[in-house]
Amino acid sequence: MTYKRKKYHHGDTHLKKRWRLRNRKKDLDQIDVDIKEENAEKLLNQDVDLDLPGSAQHYCIHCARYFIDDQALNEHFKTKVHKRRLKALELEPYSIEESERAAGLGNFKLPSKRKIETQNTKKADITNKDGDAILEEESPNKKKKVDEDAT
Amino acid sequence: MRIETCYFCSSRIYPGHGIQFVRNDCKIFRFCRSKCHAAFKKKKNPRKTKWTKAYRKTAGKELAIDPSFEFEKRRHTPLKYNRELWTKTIEAMKRVEEIRQRRSNNYIMQRLRKGREVEWQRDVREVQRDISLIRSPAAGLKQRQAEEDTEMDVEPETIEVVDAKGRKQVIEAPVMVPATGEMIEEGGDVEL
Repeated sequence: MTYKRKKYHHGDTHLKKRWRLRNRKKDLDQIDVDIKEENAEKLLNQDVDLDLPGSAQHYCIHCARYFIDDQALNEHFKTKVHKRRLKALELEPYSIEESERAAGLGNFKLPSKRKIETQNTKKADITNKDGDAILEEESPNKKKKVDEDAT
Repeated sequence: MRIETCYFCSSRIYPGHGIQFVRNDCKIFRFCRSKCHAAFKKKKNPRKTKWTKAYRKTAGKELAIDPSFEFEKRRHTPLKYNRELWTKTIEAMKRVEEIRQRRSNNYIMQRLRKGREVEWQRDVREVQRDISLIRSPAAGLKQRQAEEDTEMDVEPETIEVVDAKGRKQVIEAPVMVPATGEMIEEGGDVEL
C-alpha cells in the first residue's frame, strides 16, 4: 500500500495564517481616517524609509500598501484587489460607535455612501500621458485598418 | 464597572465576560463571546451578518430611529450618591424601557402587516393566473357551442321576442332591418 501524499482537505489553516495578529493589516475604519485630506497628504509624501518597499515612496492609501516603483503602483490601480477595496470603502466603514448605536445608545444612522476614487498624484499625470500615447498609437492602426478595408 | 456593548453583535457584556482586543491605535474592541471574537478575526462585516443588531437595524427589521433611544448616554463624570436622584433614575429607566419596548413591538407588527398584504396580493394573482387548474377552460364549452349553433340558426330568419307579459312572439328578421335603419337615421338627426 502506498500512502497518500496529497492532502485533500486543507481546512482553514491557510486562512488562519492570514488572520494572525502579526499579519494584521489596516482595517477599513483606519483607512477611512487616512483618506481624509490632511492625513492623505502626509501618507503620500512620506520620508524615505529604507526598511519599507520602495523606500515608502509609492503608497496606495486605499489598500494601505507600499509598492517598489511607480509602474508597480500604477499596475496595482488596475487590479481587482484595488477596485474591490474602493468598492468596500464606498460605504462608511463599521465602527465602535456604530455598534453602540445599534445597541440603543442614540439613534441608529444608516451608513452613508460616497464616491471613492483612486488617489490623484503626480504619478497619475504620467498615466494620463501614457494613455494619450497609447491612443495616438492606436489611431494610426485604425487608419491603417480603414485603408486596408478600402483597398 | 460598566455593562459594555459587544463590537460585533451589540449585545451587553457583563463584568467578567467576553474578551477584548486593543488595536495598535488604542481602540478597544469588546466581544461578548468567542463567536463574536472569531467573526471579527475573520473580518466579517457585522452589517452583513444576519444575527447582529447592526444588520437588523440597517435592514430595517427593527426600530432604529426613535426619541426613546436618546435617553441612554455615556456619562464620564462621577456623581455623588443621592438617594432621591437614584430612585428617580431607576423609575425613569423602567418607564423608558417600557415605552421603547412597546414602540419596537409596534414597529415589528407594522412591518409584518405589510408582508401579509403582499402575500395576499400574491395569492390573488396566483389564483387568477392558474384559474385553469381549478376550473377547466373546456368546462361548458359544448353547451356554449350548442347555444351558438341555435342562435346562428335562428338569427338570419326570425328573432324571438318576449313581451312584457311573458308571451313569446316570433318576428321575421327582414322586417327588423329597415326599422333599425330608421332608428339610426333618427339618431343621426338628433345628434346634428
